[in-house]
Amino acid sequence: MFDVDYIRAKNLEDALDFLNTNGAETKILAGGTDIMVDMRSGALKTRFLLDISRLDDLKKIEIQHGQLCIGAAVTISELLESDTVADMAPALRKAGEKFASQQIRNVATIGGNVAHCSPCGDTIPPLLIHDANAVVLTSEGQRHVTIEEMASGPYHCSLQPNEIISHFVLQPRPREVTFADFQKIGRRQELAIARMSMAAMAYQDERGLIAYMRLALGSCTPTPHRFREVEEYMTGKVPAENIIWEAGRLLADKMLSITGRRPSAVYKEPAIQGLFMRIMHPLIRT
Amino acid sequence: MTSIYDAVYHSDMSLDLNIMKTNSVTIQFTINVEEMQLEIPAGTTALDLIRDRLALKGTKEGCGIGECGACTIVVDGRAVNACLMLAAQLDGREVLTVEGLSHSGDLHPIQEAFAEKHAVQCGFCTPGLLMSTSALLKKHPHPNRSEIVKAISGNLCRCTGYHSIMEAVKAAAEKQAAFKKD
Repeated sequence: MFDVDYIRAKNLEDALDFLNTNGAETKILAGGTDIMVDMRSGALKTRFLLDISRLDDLKKIEIQHGQLCIGAAVTISELLESDTVADMAPALRKAGEKFASQQIRNVATIGGNVAHCSPCGDTIPPLLIHDANAVVLTSEGQRHVTIEEMASGPYHCSLQPNEIISHFVLQPRPREVTFADFQKIGRRQELAIARMSMAAMAYQDERGLIAYMRLALGSCTPTPHRFREVEEYMTGKVPAENIIWEAGRLLADKMLSITGRRPSAVYKEPAIQGLFMRIMHPLIRT
Repeated sequence: MTSIYDAVYHSDMSLDLNIMKTNSVTIQFTINVEEMQLEIPAGTTALDLIRDRLALKGTKEGCGIGECGACTIVVDGRAVNACLMLAAQLDGREVLTVEGLSHSGDLHPIQEAFAEKHAVQCGFCTPGLLMSTSALLKKHPHPNRSEIVKAISGNLCRCTGYHSIMEAVKAAAEKQAAFKKD
């Protein structure tokens, strides 16, 4: 049993009001799959848990002005059941398939995965390649926060105590995109915490040159990033094996320029190059 | 019913910590077809409620952090880890634990299949696996191999090696299909 109070907000307005008064002593509870673990280990002590998991306003998946909006309290299982997500954000769907276990997918939410700001959150690299913004609410109004700005460091969310993520706005994949994927390296197949993860999507023009490319990494850097230099390097080239290998080299270099050469670099440098090779390999044959 | 939200939020927020820390919540839910209303401390986990308050010891605590699946229960048709849930989150939900699988005193077809296929050795993971299987077969009455793997890979077994468990889930699906035809 935990020493905590549980409050379930009736609606979004009440939730925001509650945070206005008690935000500093409150943790927002959605799926709870991270919070329960952190309370058990003693890493998290909070006076209130504010349950927002049942707020209908946060559970919608819809298209608005041509953009894909995914409510923060949408669970990973609900993401996987959505044809809209499968069509417009295929790499996010693939990340959902590899997310933890069935039991956790059934309750864990996309908003919780992002707000927890773990460097290895599986939904984050796919959100990055869709230039996603989080729409963040207070009782006064709203603002947009990019996914890259969301984490100020590992497990440090840049949101204020009186703020709630309402939904994410994703740019749908360009119609031409036929290739989108998410890959991760973990210590086992299921329930693995990603040691490295990667989301990519691309399309080639009629000559086979890459005309569009998006690439983001998770787990490799303190906060997840898109790697625009690698996207630019690949653009305009035919994805032959040697080109992808070179791009993987560039990706490893860029990653190390962020993290510095830590002891784990001996493993990470070739592993990230190999993972990039694996994710891009289907393009070689097309 | 007064909501939990009313109870806490509309009370005097300047109350001292000692009073707040004894806060309790009232939940109303269905467990194994039985409707229930209970007052519980707000920080009770679903697992504590099921095992200690309701004395349903079939749901096991293994790791306590959502990795082993021994505490798997079915909430509104979906398999979840009871250790990663507050009991308060069960309010208004329909809960199934291993004790609710069979009502007649006979074994449920899933249980029969696990016994027949020798999918039980020490038995600690079994209730969780039965619940994962139950949720799977509700959604996919005729699951293929990859659906089975997906459904039970959140349940660790350290004895049988999974092969017999896979066989048991397949046999359970067949038994259920045959049962429905009768």
